[in-house]
Amino acid sequence: MAKSSSQLKDEILKRRSQPKEPAAPVTDESDLARLRKSQPRFRGLEAGHRACQGCGEALAARLVTEAAGPDVILTNATGCLEVFTTPWPQSAWRLPWIHSLFENSAAIASGVEAALKAQGRATKVIAMGGDGGTFDIGFQALSGMLERQHNVLYVCYDNEAYMNTGIQRSGSTPHAAMTTTSPPGKERMGKRHLKKDLLSIIAAHHIPYAASASVAYPADIRRKVRRAVSITGPTFLLIHSPCPLGWGFDSERTIELARLAVQTGLFPLVELERGEITGVMPIRKPRPVADYLKIQNRFRHLFVEDPRALKEREHLQALADHNIDQYGLAGEGADPLDADGADTVRRGGLVD
Amino acid sequence: MKLLTRGAFALPGTSLDFKTGTWRNQMPVHKHWGAPCHYVCPAGEDAQAYIGKLQEGHPQAAWEVLVAVNPMPATTGRVCPHPCEQACNRGKMDEPIAIHLIERYLGDEAIKNNWAYPVEGKAKGEPIAVVGAGPAGISAAYHLRRRGYRVTMFDALPEAGGLLRSAIPITRLPREVLDAELARILALGIEFKPRQALGRDLRLDDLLADYQFVFLGVGAGKSRHWSVDGAVPSEMHEGLGLLKEWIAVGKVPIPKSVVIHGGGNTAVDLARVMKRAGTAEVHVITASGLPGPDADPKDVLNVVPREFEQAVEEGVVFHPYRTIQRLLMRGSKMVGIEMVRLKKIKAASGRTQRVAFEGTETVLHVDMVVPAIGEVIDPTGFESLVGGADYFKADPWGRIETHDRVLVGGDARGDRGTVTAAIGDGRIAAGVIDSALAKAEMPAVKRRDFIPYETLNPNYFEPAARAKEPTLPIGRRTDTEEIEGGLTTAQIGQEAARCFSCGNCMACDNCWTLCPDNAVVKTRDRATDGSHYVFDYEFCKGCGLCAKECPCGYIGMTDDA
Repeated sequence: MAKSSSQLKDEILKRRSQPKEPAAPVTDESDLARLRKSQPRFRGLEAGHRACQGCGEALAARLVTEAAGPDVILTNATGCLEVFTTPWPQSAWRLPWIHSLFENSAAIASGVEAALKAQGRATKVIAMGGDGGTFDIGFQALSGMLERQHNVLYVCYDNEAYMNTGIQRSGSTPHAAMTTTSPPGKERMGKRHLKKDLLSIIAAHHIPYAASASVAYPADIRRKVRRAVSITGPTFLLIHSPCPLGWGFDSERTIELARLAVQTGLFPLVELERGEITGVMPIRKPRPVADYLKIQNRFRHLFVEDPRALKEREHLQALADHNIDQYGLAGEGADPLDADGADTVRRGGLVD
Repeated sequence: MKLLTRGAFALPGTSLDFKTGTWRNQMPVHKHWGAPCHYVCPAGEDAQAYIGKLQEGHPQAAWEVLVAVNPMPATTGRVCPHPCEQACNRGKMDEPIAIHLIERYLGDEAIKNNWAYPVEGKAKGEPIAVVGAGPAGISAAYHLRRRGYRVTMFDALPEAGGLLRSAIPITRLPREVLDAELARILALGIEFKPRQALGRDLRLDDLLADYQFVFLGVGAGKSRHWSVDGAVPSEMHEGLGLLKEWIAVGKVPIPKSVVIHGGGNTAVDLARVMKRAGTAEVHVITASGLPGPDADPKDVLNVVPREFEQAVEEGVVFHPYRTIQRLLMRGSKMVGIEMVRLKKIKAASGRTQRVAFEGTETVLHVDMVVPAIGEVIDPTGFESLVGGADYFKADPWGRIETHDRVLVGGDARGDRGTVTAAIGDGRIAAGVIDSALAKAEMPAVKRRDFIPYETLNPNYFEPAARAKEPTLPIGRRTDTEEIEGGLTTAQIGQEAARCFSCGNCMACDNCWTLCPDNAVVKTRDRATDGSHYVFDYEFCKGCGLCAKECPCGYIGMTDDA
């Protein structure tokens, strides 16, 4: 017999007033191998990989594969990610994965995608590379892949230098940062040139979707990955992934630094469709760039008594301010999805 | 199968054979800290715990957590100065949680829905005597009853409640609320014998002969002696007496102007009563500072901050850091007082002294001066216990050195001064009596360290305004209507959702989401420490990311042994 609404209401109130005791069985913590298998999420990148403590790239790769998997084939350029995940005869991947050379991740992905297409299969191909393999060495292959409209998501884990080979400067290294090939000294204060504006180059290919993301905002990464893999055609994702060893900071601060890079405006989070900006993560209260710079060894030389240091600090601040203007990052009031509101635990936040 | 000569392959997930946990020199651990609200509460309420139950959508369970400590939340939610809110970590980010409104809501809901107190079984055994049915006595009786003891409670007055009934204005504590809460507690099977005053109808020795233990919650009912250099006005009324008289018969003197000397609830309550009754000018002179953002919390008016704000709204004038130095008389008629600035200063001996500053004297023209500088015990009936002292001397558990079957709590101790502290004393004394009779260990009085704001990660919390209680506009405030109202169920839900859950896992998944090494494992059932996450130390490299990004400070790093 159907219950009347007032009966239902009484029933609900009654149940609410008598909370169920939490399930009595306590987890058997001795069997972690079994627990690991019953995690309520897809595991693309497994434990036991050899990344350094607090690796931003390992975290980013974990988040990307979790959101994209399991029907995915990965290609990987040479770099930290390739080296630390696949020390022969082991692999930390739980997805089909292939590595060939530094420069050809996008080319391999193009081939894999063409083969899948010929077989009539819908498996998504994700090409991956670091900033060295994307901004510099593999750039030609990437541009070709985008131009040929392959159905591939290219993910670039941006840690802003060649970390695997010993922290050499790359096209992505920010202005004034110290690397082993851009040391500060009498002649200059770290890297002389600017960080390459890769997103604008990608935008010029007029692909359906390109975006930047940051490990400080995992929910944002998931959303962007899902959006990208749902599109048939070339898509591109640039993920800011701090490197404790290469940048010189404590391994516990990876997320803090990534968050500061966004909140200062130095690493804008934007989305582009067919080359046009269609979304940005606004900044509620821009932080001074010094907050971000002063906790990294690679910018240590900017915090000494030297007029050149002051000049470079101001230069970086101007670059951040320029980003904020250029992409319209200054929010209008508080926004639940701005750089202060995204990925909070929603304790009294702006949305329920 | 063809032999691979130009490449290599590996099976998926085989890196699990390599235990990266050996790289570690620091390890993350779950550490359950005390919350500041819990740590500072004189009654021992764990506000975080009942707010947690509210967030789960179980108000009755929340109330049960609350009354496991404090049987009178509807009352304390109204009258307590809520040190929990001053300590609340959220106050360092935006505004503290309105804990008193949540407490009040739960108390009111319990009365409205007649929720049963979590007290089981019939009381048995030899009875225990509780003298005084004020907050301390009621709390002691309730906690003894909860532990299964028979309790007889005595009070000199015809009704229970103590100073809650005799000295707190109806505008702050409606008597329906007090009556309902008290009736529900007494109905648990506490024998109440009114009109039994110690020294008049009862003798301590008789009580000790008839009862296993005696708890004294007799309060401090006698006004402390007051004079200005030996001088007192010819017609002197003291503050508590006036207030009690007003509550009992509704009358209060209405001079043209009055100065009230004191810095507690009596002074502020009386000032507001006299102002409403028609006294044109009401001044309060206090040696303490006034509540405010920059005030030292140890040296401010000992009242609920809202009460102070409302008094100012109503036109009461406060003079902080002052004392009365001289009475100005014309014959036997009072024409004013001379006040002077003073401050409590540490002297060379290390003791705090009150120093008056020469050259800061000012004159206030008033017709009347009312002292409200506190009360001492009336020792009738237990002279043998206190001698000539103003208060009982007791250890933190309420035990008296000379009598091992007598305990004391509440205002009679002299070092308490709030309803909530009295309730805490009653609970602790019940624990002491229980452990003595059961021959068990004494209950601990020390609490877990509380977590400082700096240990939290506020990046994960967003600013959200604190709920405000509805307050009657000044023109509509009367002597018989409660001035402040409570919140709606929806508002309470929002307010509870502002809690930071300091030092206690809120299952936000941050550690699980952010571990680069997949070394945090989520569990469906509870893990042994009560959370839903287990560290897999075989793989944890000890980077510390999870500890840094834990919003509630529940994860800490320690050296790996």
